[in-house]
Amino acid sequence: MSTHNENADKIILGDQEVLKSELLTLNMGPQHPATHGVLRVEIKTDSEIVVDAIPHLGYLHRCFEKHAENLDYRGVIPFVDRMDYLAAMSMEWGYALTVEKMLGTEVPKRAEYVRVLVAELQRIASHLVFFGTYGIDLGAFTVFLYCFEDREEILRLFEELSGARMLYNYIWIGGVWNDINDSQLNRVKAFCDRFEGELHKYHTLVGENKIFIGRTANVGIISEKMAFDFGATGPILRASGVKWDLRKNRPYSIYDKFDFDIPVGVGEKGTVGDCWDRYHVRVLEMFESIKIIRQVLDGIEEGPVMGKVPKIIKVPAGEIYMRTECPRGELGYHLISDGGKTPYRLKVKSSCFTHVSILPAIAPGLMIADMVASIGSIDIVLGEVDR
Amino acid sequence: METIHLKKHIEPELTFTKWFKNVYDAVKTTMIGMGITFKYVWARDVVTIEYPEVREELPANSRSRLYNDAENCISCLQCAVSCPVDCIYIAAVKRPTDAAKIKTKDGTPIRLDLKQYTIDTALCCYCGLCTTVCPTECLTHTTDYEFASYTLASMKYDYLAPDIRAWRTRIVKS
Amino acid sequence: MHSQIVDFLNKNVPGCNPVINAPVAVVGDQSITVAAVNILEVCRALRSSPEFAFNVLQVITGTDYPDRIELSYILASYSKNLELILKTNLPRGDKNNLSKINSVVSVWSAANFQERETYDMIGVDFVGHPDFRRILCPYDWDGHPLRKDYVVQEKYLDMVVNPPAKNNTDDQMFGKRLKEELGDPKRVSASWKDNTAGADAAEAKDGE
Repeated sequence: MSTHNENADKIILGDQEVLKSELLTLNMGPQHPATHGVLRVEIKTDSEIVVDAIPHLGYLHRCFEKHAENLDYRGVIPFVDRMDYLAAMSMEWGYALTVEKMLGTEVPKRAEYVRVLVAELQRIASHLVFFGTYGIDLGAFTVFLYCFEDREEILRLFEELSGARMLYNYIWIGGVWNDINDSQLNRVKAFCDRFEGELHKYHTLVGENKIFIGRTANVGIISEKMAFDFGATGPILRASGVKWDLRKNRPYSIYDKFDFDIPVGVGEKGTVGDCWDRYHVRVLEMFESIKIIRQVLDGIEEGPVMGKVPKIIKVPAGEIYMRTECPRGELGYHLISDGGKTPYRLKVKSSCFTHVSILPAIAPGLMIADMVASIGSIDIVLGEVDR
Repeated sequence: METIHLKKHIEPELTFTKWFKNVYDAVKTTMIGMGITFKYVWARDVVTIEYPEVREELPANSRSRLYNDAENCISCLQCAVSCPVDCIYIAAVKRPTDAAKIKTKDGTPIRLDLKQYTIDTALCCYCGLCTTVCPTECLTHTTDYEFASYTLASMKYDYLAPDIRAWRTRIVKS
Repeated sequence: MHSQIVDFLNKNVPGCNPVINAPVAVVGDQSITVAAVNILEVCRALRSSPEFAFNVLQVITGTDYPDRIELSYILASYSKNLELILKTNLPRGDKNNLSKINSVVSVWSAANFQERETYDMIGVDFVGHPDFRRILCPYDWDGHPLRKDYVVQEKYLDMVVNPPAKNNTDDQMFGKRLKEELGDPKRVSASWKDNTAGADAAEAKDGE
């Protein structure tokens, strides 16, 4: 996105000319509570109206792809965790699926169920962080505490399963590390029953609030055309009114067994693709996740959780591109192997990186306070943006 | 002459009745929200753990501070090979053939004398890969999570040093 | 699907020489390689074609091979549910003379950040890009990290990159010192792979 000329003589907002003053450059970030990490957005404003927003990335850049070229296939998983640290399970699963597809490994049925279970729980946990922090961005503090209490329950389960709270290293190539036991499954069931009611409450508390609607409806609109043009995926694409979900349209693992809906934005409170729609799609996705988890609990089978994988993994030469649906959008791994013990090239298509590029396109014409609402609704995790 | 065109933020037309309805809606929905939060004042137990006074017990397979039981280590270097950040330093010397035969707890013969077993905890990413490959299960994650220290040098754990035993006995009660 | 795309490209973009790259092994994805000079026309044709309608650019990525740089454009069609890896080969070029290719920002806006990242990481000059800067590394960084022969610069803005004080040489060299003390390197096995000292240390690590 090319930036506007600073020395322009006139600024026309909609069809009205505004009084042009000298443009003010404002740095939002790198340390700003609303950027959810270390993102710097250089904002050029004419009084309160944003003329340009230029994101500067790379404050959390670790060049994970270079690391991966020097690690064996199992050793990459801890690094993959650290990309989207709020949804580490989904990151691992995508990587494991990529390597398994190249190896031709058969994953045991129980492991598949456990993977779906943890990935959907992770989706809820990740969306709860979005829910809570988006509330904080817009001045509603209470719901943040409620959300984190529920998230804590999920994290505690993950800690018992894998031993870590955030960076799990739980989904391995060929299966999962530890088996889940019946009492844990019962806890998940109880959590689902309780959480469904709670979520309705939270939505009434935040999403239905007139002040919240006033801050988010009709703000930061991403139209369907724009979403395709910028390659938006996941909740952002669905909020723009596109019924697309990889779990339904290109099912991987055992997602074809489950029955769930794809929530899309309909412009209930404003225009299709505004911040409120993006918020609402995520809330509805949590309900769908609960639906999937219930089906997993009904259908889970007994058996081993680890398939047969050679001790030293050597992926046959070739390449593969594998997409999975993560809480923040589609995650793609492009793996090129030369038949050795380490990947020759592992490129990650990160959805957050793509979503940041929409920011310069939606920002011009917004107020500065609306920028906060827009960045929050895109829900980026800087670990995944910078990798 | 250059002009910057900006998109206008869509705002629904505001009439007099709409203005009043907005105010009414705002008050009403906020009151509903306040009702929900008000219920939490008594209907919920306190969930905060007041840390230094109340210490939470971590699950048994929690991945915290690493501990190597050097007596049972056969110096196979598998942990060092699997470590993705290369933070485990091991050096061992072959035992002379005429030395007394020693075995680990599970009966594996020890053929190498361990001379160095150091883990740089400052680099460790607690992924747990080293503990899963250990054949004698001497390298384990403990559930001890209180080991902040002031210097980088003190983050290096030399598991052959005698003072390491001290914190092992502190955290393992049995 | 791939042979239809090749037919389509032959008809619509003359001279782009589309070739199907069959997967080397039985697993993996197929891809299509086209000539680098035609990349813009090929992308435009694939996007606007009614039968494929690749309306989304997923990612642009580069791979550094000893003799060439291979750019992969991964396209997806959400209306037809298709996925395509489109490839093109470029000479490696050197630091002062990066190899050039046309930018596809005019086809998909998503290419903006992706091309900047490819430039930053692999070092390819995209001609016609509206805002051509580094993106992940600092703007005044030297070199392109994902090239296989990349060496980290020694100093950046008067700061030493990888200062020796932060290296744990004491522990890393313990095994080597032990070997010298004993005078019989075969008896010692050490874990630290010493990249400078040659093969014997590396062997010890592999040999377990």
